[in-house]
This record gives sequence, C-alpha cells and structure tokens, in this order.
Amino acid sequence: MPEYSVVGRRLPRVDALEKVTGAAKYGADVHPPGMLYGKIVRSEYPHAKILHIDTTEAELLPGVRAIITQADVESGRKVFASDKVLYSGEPIAAVAATDSDIADEAAGLIKIEYERLPVVQNVMEAIQPTAPRLHSDETKDGPSRRGIRNRLKQLSLDESEGSSEEIRTLETELETLEEDVYYNISAETHTEIGDVEKGFAESDIVVENTYTIPRVHQTYMEPHVSVASADSSGKVTVWASTQGPFAIRSGIAGTLGIPLGKINVIPTIMGGGFGGRFGVTMTHVPAVLLSQKTGRPVRVQVTRKEEFLDGRPAPGCVIKMKTGATKSGGILACQALAFWDSGAVSGASIGSTIRVRGVYKIPNLKVDAYGVYTNKSGTTAYRAPGAPQAIFAAESQLDEIARRIGMDPVEFRLKNMREEGDMIPGGSQEPVIGYKETLKAVADAAGWWNRDKSHNQGWGVAVGDWTNGCGPGGVYVSIHEDGSARIFHGSMDITGTDTAITQIVAEILTLPYERVTITRGDTDSAPYATGSGGSVVTFTMGNTAKLAAEDTRRRILELAAERLNTEIDNFELRDGKIFVNGADSPKSISLGELAAFSLNTRGGPIVGKGSFAQQSSTPALAAQIAKVEVDAETGRIKVLKLVSSQDVGFAINPMAVEGQIEGGTVQGYAWAIMEEMQYDQNGNVNPGLVDYRVPTSADLPTVESVIVEVPAPNGPFGAKGVGEPPITPTLATMSNAVVDAVGVRVNDLPIKPEKIVAALHNNGN
Amino acid sequence: MRDFALFEPTTIEEASSLLAENGGKATILAGGTDLLVGWKEGIATPKSVVSLAQISGLDSIAYDENTGLSIGGMTKMRAIEQSSTIRNRYTALAEGASEVGSIQIRNLATLGGNICNASPAADTVAALLVFGAQLEIASTYGERTIPIRDFFVGPGESSLQHGEIVTRLVCPPRPDNSGSHYIKQKIREVMDLAFIGVAASVELAHGVVADVKIGLAAVAPTPIRATDAENILKGNSLSESILEQAASAAAEQSSPISDLRCSAEYREDMVRVLTKRTIQASAARI
Amino acid sequence: MKKHLVSFTVNNDQYDLLVEPRKTLLAVLRDSIGLTGTKEGCSTGDCGACTVTVDGKSVTSCLMLAASANGKAIKTIEGLSSGSSLHPLQHAFIDKGGYQCGFCTPGFIMASKAFLEENPNATEAEVRHALGGNICRCTGYTKIIEAVMSAAELMRSARQAR
Ligand SMILES: Cc1cc2nc3c(=O)[nH]c(=O)nc-3n(C[C@H](O)[C@H](O)[C@H](O)COP(=O)(O)OP(=O)(O)OC[C@H]3O[C@@H](n4cnc5c(N)ncnc54)[C@H](O)[C@@H]3O)c2cc1C
Ligand code: FES
Ligand code: FES
Repeated sequence: MPEYSVVGRRLPRVDALEKVTGAAKYGADVHPPGMLYGKIVRSEYPHAKILHIDTTEAELLPGVRAIITQADVESGRKVFASDKVLYSGEPIAAVAATDSDIADEAAGLIKIEYERLPVVQNVMEAIQPTAPRLHSDETKDGPSRRGIRNRLKQLSLDESEGSSEEIRTLETELETLEEDVYYNISAETHTEIGDVEKGFAESDIVVENTYTIPRVHQTYMEPHVSVASADSSGKVTVWASTQGPFAIRSGIAGTLGIPLGKINVIPTIMGGGFGGRFGVTMTHVPAVLLSQKTGRPVRVQVTRKEEFLDGRPAPGCVIKMKTGATKSGGILACQALAFWDSGAVSGASIGSTIRVRGVYKIPNLKVDAYGVYTNKSGTTAYRAPGAPQAIFAAESQLDEIARRIGMDPVEFRLKNMREEGDMIPGGSQEPVIGYKETLKAVADAAGWWNRDKSHNQGWGVAVGDWTNGCGPGGVYVSIHEDGSARIFHGSMDITGTDTAITQIVAEILTLPYERVTITRGDTDSAPYATGSGGSVVTFTMGNTAKLAAEDTRRRILELAAERLNTEIDNFELRDGKIFVNGADSPKSISLGELAAFSLNTRGGPIVGKGSFAQQSSTPALAAQIAKVEVDAETGRIKVLKLVSSQDVGFAINPMAVEGQIEGGTVQGYAWAIMEEMQYDQNGNVNPGLVDYRVPTSADLPTVESVIVEVPAPNGPFGAKGVGEPPITPTLATMSNAVVDAVGVRVNDLPIKPEKIVAALHNNGN
Repeated sequence: MRDFALFEPTTIEEASSLLAENGGKATILAGGTDLLVGWKEGIATPKSVVSLAQISGLDSIAYDENTGLSIGGMTKMRAIEQSSTIRNRYTALAEGASEVGSIQIRNLATLGGNICNASPAADTVAALLVFGAQLEIASTYGERTIPIRDFFVGPGESSLQHGEIVTRLVCPPRPDNSGSHYIKQKIREVMDLAFIGVAASVELAHGVVADVKIGLAAVAPTPIRATDAENILKGNSLSESILEQAASAAAEQSSPISDLRCSAEYREDMVRVLTKRTIQASAARI
Repeated sequence: MKKHLVSFTVNNDQYDLLVEPRKTLLAVLRDSIGLTGTKEGCSTGDCGACTVTVDGKSVTSCLMLAASANGKAIKTIEGLSSGSSLHPLQHAFIDKGGYQCGFCTPGFIMASKAFLEENPNATEAEVRHALGGNICRCTGYTKIIEAVMSAAELMRSARQAR
C-alpha cells in the first residue's frame, strides 16, 4: 500500500473545538430577531374523521400570531389532515406565538371533533379481508389485482392486435390470484431465481420460521427543528437541521409552489439523522407557512414525544422464511415472504427483502414482499434501510442450519460465501470483495476459535452486507495567498466527513492537515450536493474533493510553469511546495508565492473544481461476534463481549471509521434487545425515552472494532461507505448468542427478558 | 407548560397556610422530577405551586440508636444513596434510592416526592415498607404521624389530605444481626422504571429467622408487604425449601397487571424469583 | 402571572432576571441568556443533553424551574474552558473521538465533570454507570468512555501538580 501522509491517520476532527465548547450551532440554536415559536396540533386518534376544527379560543390567547390549517395551503398539496386522520399524531393545524409556552397553550385550546373509525395496527391483521381499509378506494383488492384490472381497462380501450390474447392471460391470472389476496397493500415486489421448490426437495435439511422485527425510531438526539423566514418579496430562508439541504429546497418548492430560486436553505449542524432527517420532514413546511402568514421568522421545534408520534421511523416487519441446505453445509434454496409495516403512508423499505440472500451462493431464491398500511405514522430510512430486518431472518436461519448439521457457524458461512466473479443472486457479478477476510478477522480478534464459556453464556456470530450509495456533488478548492487551501461545498457532515474531505484535499495538495480549511455553503451559494445518507458522503464527496484537488494541482503546476518558464512535466508538488525535477540546483516555489502570483496572471486565482455523478461502489461486509450471559431465571441478557469487523476499503480516518462501527453495532444491539415502538388502539404507547429504551453506557462493554481494508476500485483512496454496514448483522448476532447460551431462539424481537423466560418454560426448563 | 403562581415559603407554617389559602388549587413542589414532566405534557395544570425548597431543615439525615433514622422529606435521592448510615444500616433504602433515574435526576428528586407521588413502582417504597417507616405530616390542622403501610391507597393515590406536607420519615433502629437488600427488575441497567421491585430485611438469631419483612413494588395497585411469605419464614432457617415456599407465597400475594413493560404472569413469576434472591442477599449481609 | 426576580451566577457571571415561574432553567439559559451550548433532547429528564451543574452538582436543567436556581452557582459547557485553554475533558473528547454529531457532548462533559470531581479514581465500570443518564445515539459509547477515563487521568495529574 502506498505511503500517505494525511489520509489514513487518526486526526482530530475539523469541528473539534466548536463541538466540545458548546459553540456549535444546531437547528434550535438559530434565533433571528423577532422570531415566533410554532407548534403543531396533532390528531389524538389513530383513525378518525375530522368533523370540526374550532380555533376561536386559541386565537384569543394573548401572544398568538397565527393559526393555520390545510385551508391555508394555497398550493392545495397535503400538509395537514383536513377530513380524515390515519394515525395519532398526524398534523391538523399549526400555531405561531410570541413564546413557546404560549404556542403550546394555544395548541391545546384548539378543539377538534372526531368520529372514530376502526383501527388496525398489526400487519398480519391488516392484510385480512376483515381489516379496516386505510385508503379504501386504492386497496380494495390489493395492488396486484388492481394492477391487472387497470391493465385490463387499458387493453379494453386498445383495439390493436395481440391485446385480446393478453386480456385472456390476465383474466386467468386474476382468477388464480384470488387465494392470496392481501389487503391494505401499499406496494409489492417479487423476485425469483432458479426453482426453490426443487432446491428444497433436494435439501437434507430445511428450516422454516417466522421472524417479527419491531418498528424502531432512529432516535437522533436532536429533535426535528427548523426556522423559516419569508420576506415581503416572497423570498424564503429556511435554517434546517437536515441530512440534505438541497432536498429540503426542492421539497418546499414542490409542496408550496415556490420557485427554487426563491428558497435558500441554510443547513445548521445536525444532531444525528441516521436516515430520519432526509427531505422535508415534520417542521419545514409548517415553519414556512407560519412565517408567510405572520411576516416574521418562525421556529418549529418538535418535542421528543412528537418525534415518536409523527417521526418517520424504520418499518417493522414480519418475514416468513425458509432455507434449505445439504448435510455437508451447502445452501440450496432460500425463500422469503415479507410483510412490511409501512404505516399510513406507502414507502417501507420492502426492496431490501432481497437482502435475505446475504453474501452467499444461493442457486434458488424466491422473495415476495409487501408493504402494508396500518394506522401509524409513515416510515423512512434508518441506517442500511431494510437490511437489518431481512438479515436478521436470514442469519438466524443459517445459524440454525449450522447447529443442526453440527458445523461451526463461521466455517459454514465461509463455505458458502461468494467470491470475486460469483454471481449475486438477482444481481451482477461480485467485484473485488472482502467477505471472507472480514469474517475471519472478527473470528480471530474475538478469540472465536478457542472460545470458552461458563454456564448460561453463549457466543453468536453473524454477518451483514451493504453497498454504499452514490450521488451527484460538486466541490471547489481555492488557494489563498498564504498558501493555505480552502474547500467549499454543500454536503452535510455528521460522522466526520468534512474531516475526511479535508484529509483527502490535504493529501493531494501535499499540505499539512492544519493548512486546509473547509466551509459549507447554503443552497444559494454551494454547488449541489447529494444528501448525507446511504453512506454516500465519503465515497461521493471524497471522490469529488479529490477531483477538485487534482484540478487545483493542475492549475498550480500550470502557474509554476508560467512563473518559472519551464514545462509542466518538470515539476513536482511536495510538502506544499513546487520543486523543479532533475535540476542540479534545486529550485522551489511555495504555494503562497504562487497564489500571490496568480492574482496578476491572465488565468487568475487558483480555483479547482470537482464534479462527480453516479458510480456504483463495491459491497462492504460487517461481521460480528458477541458473547453474552443470560440470567435463565429472569431472562436478562448481559453482553460480555462485542467485536465488530468491517471491510471499509480504506480508512481515511481510522478514528472516525471506528466510531461508525461502534455506533452502528450498538444500534443493532439495541434493536435486538430493547428497542420497540409499541402501539395499541389509541396509537403509540411509549412515546418517550423511558419506555422506548435506547441503551446507555451502563448496558454495554467496550465495542472492539476491527478494520479490514479491501480497497474499492473507484473509491477515494479505495474507501467504501462505512456508516451503514455495522448495524446490519447485530440483530442476528445477539439472537444467535442467546441461543448458544440458553438454547432458546426468540424470533420475535426485541428479545425481552420475559420472552426468554417464556421460551425456557415452554422448553420444559 | 401553563403558567402558575409560585410561592417559596421559608417555614412549614407559612407553607401550610399558603396551601390552605389556595384551596384545592395549590400543588406542593419538591424536586419537580415527577411534577414537571406531568405539567409539560399537560397532564396537570396547577394554578399555584408552593415550593418547599426554601424551608430549612427539611433535608437532613440523622440517626439515633434509640429513635432510629430520621430523614427530611426534601432529602435528595443522591444524599440518601451516599449516606454511610443509610448504606450500612438501611442498605435496601440506599439501594432503592440509587436506582432512581440518573445522578442528574437524583440530585433533584426527593424522598418525599418519591413517596407522595404514590407510584406503585417507586424505588424507595419497598424498602421503606420493610423498615416500617413512619411519615410525619404537617398541615394547618397540626401534625400527625402515620405508618407508610397505611399511606398508599391506589396508583397515584395516597391518604395525604390536601395541604398536608410530609416533613420527615422515621424508621425504627436496626438490630445488629440484620441485613437488607433491594432488587429492581429492569431491562436497561440505568434509567429504567421498575418492572418489579423487591426489598427484604432479614434478622437472624441462632441461624433462624427472628424477623423478616418483604416489600413488593410494581406488582399491585400499591406497594405491598408480602406478609404470607414473611410468616412462612419466621422461626425457620433459610433452607431451600422454605425459601421456595416463601417465594411462592409472595408471588401468590401479588396482584400484578399486564402493561407495556411486561405481562402479569412475568411479574408474578419474578416476584417468586426475586423474593428468594433478595432474602438470600439480605441474610448474606448479616 | 407574577414574574420572579431570579439572581444567580452562570459561569461566574451574575444575572438578575425577571422570569415567569413556568420557565425552566434550560429555557432561561438558552432563550434569555443565549447560552445555547446546553441542549434539549427530550425535556423530560431522560436524555441528559441539558445537564449543567448547580452548586457543583449535575442536574437535568429541563426539569428544574429557573426560579428554583435563585442564589445558586450554575456552570454550563460554555464556562468550562478559560479563554483558549480547554478543560481536560474537552481535550480528551477531541483526542479520543468521543463525539460524532456532538449533540450529546455538552451534557456528557458536564455530567462527567461533576462525577469525576466527586470520584477522581472512578473505575471504568463506575463511569459507565454514572453516565447512564446521558444518551448518545452516535458513538456506541466506547470512545466517550475512553475519553472520560483519559480525562480522569489528566485531572488527577493536574491535581497532583497543584
Ligand atoms: C427521567 C426520570 C427517571 C425517573 N426514574 C425513576 C426511577 O427509576 N424510580 C423511581 O422511583 N422514580 C423515578 N422517577 C420519578 C421521580 O424522579 C421520583 O419519583 C422522585 O423521587 C420524585 O421526587 P420529586 O422531589 O422530584 O417530586 P415532585 O415532582 O416535586 O413531586 C412529586 C409529587 O409529590 C408531592 N410531594 C412532593 N414532596 C412532598 C412533600 N414533602 N409532602 C407532600 N407532598 C409532596 C408533589 O406535590 C407531587 O405530587 C424518574 C423521573 C424522571 C424524570
Ligand atoms: S433535555 Fe433534559 S434530560 Fe433530555
Ligand atoms: S455524538 Fe451524536 S448523540 Fe452523541
């Protein structure tokens, strides 16, 4: 591996000082003069007709400046519920007042009359014909049948040749579909490779189970907040704590019909997102509407409770899964039927069901997935959206097969893992990958091969894969007269990506890390940048920054040639200086000197530009091993050891990479052991951080992270996206460890103590 | 949060008359960790609030061999947990206090508040039950003392009359040959509310149980004593079978409900498991 | 309602403010005084982001009425460093990478400060337990705990030097 001087080092982050001194300004820290406080009025019921909204009493409260409902949304796009609510917590109105407590009080004074409707919260109930329908017209027959009907309707208008044959086939299909018609379906996807029935028939062993994975909240520590200020010219400024300011701009433009050029989104530092802070969310549009109505800046900040009622958490799901293998440990077939709880809005991560295929050679695969409407808020991305759920089912099954055939679970996985050139079921060929290296690395680091355990202790292993996304982005790099460099861009930093970008630019320009600074613009000033999610930033913006730095270097060398009157090829950029190659008496010129010189040249100041678009990256594996101890009488689980390895391609900043691995692993642990949004006929029943349990430091041991580096051919310096993979295997890692400890498998997450005790009782213990 | 009038009296008398003057509308404020959460969520909207914080002497801890332990109603959980007297002699109470929320919460939360909030899951009450605490209560009508056993009426309900202030708690002295322990069943190590709480105090004489008290939290509408289990244990040595019998009796005496934290069956089962453990641990401390 | 005159010091500066009884210490620090380093993550005592010290003791400022802070000495994250010299905890959080989004950091640093001042020789297990009132969703705590343990050492040697 080449020697680098800035990338690959554990450098402190560029935002270190502001973050540890309290100087960093987050969304709720923005306070323009004359600012009002906004508050959203929400539905009390999960399913009801709105009969009447009475705002009179609230309007009379001193300090109230505006109350808005859907009637105030000129574009007509839905912002507030007006005739029917589909989940408790759904926005119905919003208030702006001179003080946050007054806004709260006014919200409480708005009287809403409802007529309650029957509620459905459980996906398996929602798909039944007897279930109440959320979107009655759309989903009467489920979309497959609806899709066919629509097509039939089209065809009946179409006189052309061949249509009658298609009509006949579709009609037969419609009849055969009658049996598994599901209701309240919001979306569906189907994949079939090979012949699973044949695969199962040839298998020596087939395991079949149903896995239930709960809905969990990203629980970023900063609740959603935005401040909007609309001026009399129609210009709208929005301070937003977001993963992607450009998506906020287009989202507001689309919802309210404001031209893009009249919206400036100023991103603030963000208190975590994990996928939940993408695009227009709870606060942006109401803040703009309230500001437009009052002519004053308005801050809308939601409470933690509102986060649970109206956030967009990760979908829960029920996966029925079946895997077949030979006695010698070869996987032959794998089939999954998944019902994803998409809440009242379509869009659960149903496409991720295919991830049940894992990183294994599976000749026969069948996946059917449905999104199902229920009376809950909609869902969105949470760190590797959909993968932890699907991988929990798959890696639990593999563990069970390994146990049944008496093969070591690590050996079993190694035996079936794909290698470079193998076909990904339902996908393309595997590029250069590090699956086996990563699994071996964690096994070695955890002491798997000579693991010991006492009574009621157990070891679990699982792996999970994810390929980072990619998106468009632009970066500028300029050189100041003192020879320092500045990066200018518009992508959001949560995990230390600004630091990684700075390291990359410093490396290319051979400058010390401290001589490169980075500035984030707003949407008015910065070039477009894709949102920070899907592990895209280091990959996309890292590549972009590298291109910009290389462009800058080109300009530097060009200037040096002009200055020293020689050919470009004769130069070398080293230690922030330009050296003439091969000359007997070494000549050099500093960057500062060149930058000053550039001001008087025809070409002008040194500015490098980088633009990058879509490119596919390579898959990354996370492999984990946990050792747990279970109190067999009370069911409490204590984690004794948690080791997490990951193929990161190349660690631009190992400290930041470890931070991602540790954080993601703990989120996965929590999903397995304690987190769960609970619902009853009135809605979410644990909307707070006491009964929605996020682990604290007291629940955990040190997470040991192991960095594996199998470079991605097109990643910056070989880097892959690191944010998402580490959450993907942990649900199964924990469950598999519990099985090893006490011999019972809890397939209904989270593995609460009570479920272990019940399973042990059922086992006759 | 709705606004309210705040009063900060400096004597009990002043506080009592403020409470009396404001009729049914005044709320007593101690550390505020229960109250503020309710106020913010609009569960309660007090018109006037009487804070006890400025009254001196309400937060002292004193021990006397003859009269026992006396703790002011405004004593912070953190002070109770850190008091060496309480840790040594009333261990289950120190343990109960140390289970409340976080250090930040325990620096605000008071013992009086934990009791008067009357939650069946409060972490100090099981211990106070086994120590036979007496509550000293003041109001404009004078003072009265009641045993903690008679204090709780239902979830969130106590026999405290409006305007009454819990000024002190007194626990009788502890015999030397005794030990106590509190176990809280939870999922998170810190910052969980009790799924089940069990406190015990055991006094041994010549290898047999001279006296024993068992307090249960979160398994009935109010915190309760497991008297049937106590009777089984008294006069016996702590053999496995006696322990089992007592543990089952305690489970029998509980009347838990199912809620979002866990089911009634699990609670009952855990009363059995934890009663046994608590007694063993208490005895091991002697 | 009648406002209360509240006098206290924040980071050694004297403040005399008229506040509504319903205002929490957190609201007054952030909105009236403009010290926004102290964060609001839940407003119900569950996350620790709002931790400040009052007379040296850590409290969740979201559950304390500002009026109850009358006469007290309050310290917030902004008062931790003097000029350009950072507190050992701040140094350690930077060196060990003890934060990502940073939203929980002020609360963690203030809670750790109060705890370490009371327990300078705390073990890792004690620190993990003592910080149980502070939630961090980003880091998984490993690097936070490393930072606090290393700060404890720095603080001990600074104490010895004195
Ligand atoms: C994040 C968090 C975690 C928590 N975790 C736990 C836990 O693990 N275990 C647990 O048991 N509790 C827990 N609690 C609840 C709470 O902290 C305790 O019940 C605490 O002891 C209440 O005391 P306080 O002084 O704050 O009471 P306050 O909120 O001030 O008052 C509570 C009630 O008691 C009344 N009252 C208070 N003092 C008196 C008095 N002297 N005389 C008469 N009436 C009085 C008040 O009027 C009010 O009705 C938690 C709370 C929070 C916010
Ligand atoms: S904001 Fe105070 S504890 Fe969360
Ligand atoms: S660093 Fe984001 S919550 Fe702790």
